[in-house]
Amino acid sequence: MKVLDIIRDANANLLRNKMRSFLTILAIFIGSFVIILSTGISAGVNDFVDKQMSAVGGEGYVEIMNTAASEQVTQMFNQDAQEYTEPGENENTDIYISDKQIEDARKIDGVKSIDAFKNASAEYIKMKGENKRFKLNLNLVPRGNLNMDLSAGRKADPDAEDYEIIVQQNLAESLGYDNPEDIVGKTAEIAVPSTVACFTAAKRSDCLTTIEAKIVGVQAPGILAMAGSRANLALWNKINEINNENMPEENNRAIQATADVDPAKAEDIKKAMADLGLTAMTIEDEVGQIKTFFDAMLAVLSIFGGIALLAAAIGIINTLLMSVQERTREIGLDKALGMSNGRVFLNFALEAIMLGFWGSVFGIAISVLIGQAINSVTHDSILKDLPSFQLTIFRPEDLLGVTVLIMLIALIAGVLPARKASKKDPIDALRYE
Amino acid sequence: MSNDILLSTHGLHKSYGKRDSKFEALRGINLEIRRGESVAIVGKSGSGKSTLMHLLALLDRPTKGEIRLGDKQTSKLKQRQLNHLRNKEFGFVFQSFFMNANDSVLNNVILPLKIAGVGRRERKQRAIHALKIVGLETKAKNKANDLSGGQKQRVCIARAIVNQPKVIFADEPTGNLDSGTGEKIEELLFNLNKEQGITLIIVTHDQELANKCSRQIHISDGHIVSDDTITADIESADAETEEEVGPTEEEVAEEIRESIIEERDEIDTNGDGFIDEEDQPHVTRIKSKGSK
Ligand SMILES: Nc1ncnc2c1ncn2[C@@H]1O[C@H](COP(=O)(O)OP(=O)(O)OP(=O)(O)O)[C@@H](O)[C@H]1O
Ligand SMILES: [Mg+2]
Repeated sequence: MKVLDIIRDANANLLRNKMRSFLTILAIFIGSFVIILSTGISAGVNDFVDKQMSAVGGEGYVEIMNTAASEQVTQMFNQDAQEYTEPGENENTDIYISDKQIEDARKIDGVKSIDAFKNASAEYIKMKGENKRFKLNLNLVPRGNLNMDLSAGRKADPDAEDYEIIVQQNLAESLGYDNPEDIVGKTAEIAVPSTVACFTAAKRSDCLTTIEAKIVGVQAPGILAMAGSRANLALWNKINEINNENMPEENNRAIQATADVDPAKAEDIKKAMADLGLTAMTIEDEVGQIKTFFDAMLAVLSIFGGIALLAAAIGIINTLLMSVQERTREIGLDKALGMSNGRVFLNFALEAIMLGFWGSVFGIAISVLIGQAINSVTHDSILKDLPSFQLTIFRPEDLLGVTVLIMLIALIAGVLPARKASKKDPIDALRYE
Repeated sequence: MSNDILLSTHGLHKSYGKRDSKFEALRGINLEIRRGESVAIVGKSGSGKSTLMHLLALLDRPTKGEIRLGDKQTSKLKQRQLNHLRNKEFGFVFQSFFMNANDSVLNNVILPLKIAGVGRRERKQRAIHALKIVGLETKAKNKANDLSGGQKQRVCIARAIVNQPKVIFADEPTGNLDSGTGEKIEELLFNLNKEQGITLIIVTHDQELANKCSRQIHISDGHIVSDDTITADIESADAETEEEVGPTEEEVAEEIRESIIEERDEIDTNGDGFIDEEDQPHVTRIKSKGSK
């Protein structure tokens, strides 16, 4: 009997008891659906992260915080009471980065440059000569070989004396420039509040100072865009200065730093900085956090899928055992007509495999359909600003892998019934009523 | 010397169950079956006919004793060889027609060929040919379950012959059928025996059918109580040492003819009026074989 015959027979036998086969396949389908969808999402997230990573580049770019500050962030999630201990001599207790820490960090082998920066906040941005104003979420243009993933223009020069700014593409469009190329080179007006003056000002506009900055680039949508528009160091410092007019000097200190380091030494540098009380993170570390979060979520999902598959495997055993019982006479006839035990085994094993196959084929079909739906829904809503992010991606090799895995599980489940069938004695089977 | 002996059994025992429930279905069966014979195994219900047939067909193994196929000990055969024999050399017609009721007639007939690994086109042709022989080619596409009892049995015969076996084992092939249909089935089987030299081993409790066979083995409670060619066997064996195979066959045929006539006389004494008419064509058929 040829393989094709066996496969055809296996399918025909499954069709003989449609309801039962359908329910078994349904159980496998549920498991495979969950697993395929979570691999799809996992692939989507990983693909997005990889794309962003290659768009951003950022090898050797590190962001630095005081360890005490980064611990404060993690402490937020810790609700246990903690015993107080006197801080040691070198232990940092405030969230600021001291000049000494920066000087020490600059001396670490492999650190090419390091900039500490203070806070700077702007009120709004508008085009020169226009009236429409938009809130401005501002960040600093990083040094180093960080590729800013720009849709137009160039990266702002961190060391330029002129005030330069990169705006997000969304913002550029709102400002009236649908084509990002058109906004490059234009001058924007940025209103900056003076914190102390604003305490007493009658009107908010009374405490705002307007400065002009040149738009040199447009930030394409992506994770970098989430950090907002980017100012060069000169603009940043100017804004900081206005923010802190009439403010005591000790309140205006650096809380963050960025450094450009030798990527090969990144791990050693991170350790050395940790000794200085600084927490350094590469882009990979930061993106890794997103990845870890998704991976954990998807691992949980996959475990559910696995449990569903386990239950489905028991369903397969059950279905096939019933089938063996019902077909006792048929098996007897096959064997009386010279079918070998091995082939009887193969017939039932293949039925199990076909159950697994159909379950995973339906799983794939429905997952892909639902995945497309999810993609188009999220594309227009929560992922509007990340057009390159497809939440689910189904790679053929993943689908094939899951199918093979499920067929393997089905085969293992089929071993018991198939053995039982192959052990049947033809005479007993023929006498069976 | 014994190269025309197809199957022989030596002290065959078969018991079922253990200890208290132990039951000896066969208690020492010795017999030889020659190629081209048509053998009837006759006996009451429960006498062990089916058990004996299953052993001869190598579907089951004896508890004690031995079955030889030609001069090979069948207990020494590998499972693979047994499967080959069942698939290629033997054809079976089982006591209650054994079919895959929900499958088509054609697929039922195809089954042995499918097991043998014959290609799709060829096996279909051969199955249709077999169905033509039993006169059911028009029913090929029907569901097996929808056929009448006689048609089902003919399908089983088609399935038994589709692999062109050397031996056909038939367990009560006419048991469930009315006499008219039964006769058709019998005619089919005997034609195969006459025309193709297929050895027939028929289990029956129908004396009429048994009479049409060249030899009758009566069993009762697991023993052979009469085997009407036992004497012929010995004589023919003697003849073989003196002469070649050719004359032996004629002698065997003569023996068979005599024994059949004897049987007929026996039945005549029973006073059954129909038997004479029915036996007449049978005797001429044997004559025609003897004159070949
Ligand atoms: N698997 C078995 N277990 C126990 N006893 C069995 C088994 N198979 C057959 N027997 C017994 O062996 C005896 C012979 O059975 P067998 O089927 O050979 O009878 P038979 O001559 O073919 O009868 P029938 O004409 O009714 O078919 C019976 O008494 C039966 O009960
Ligand atoms: Mg019987």
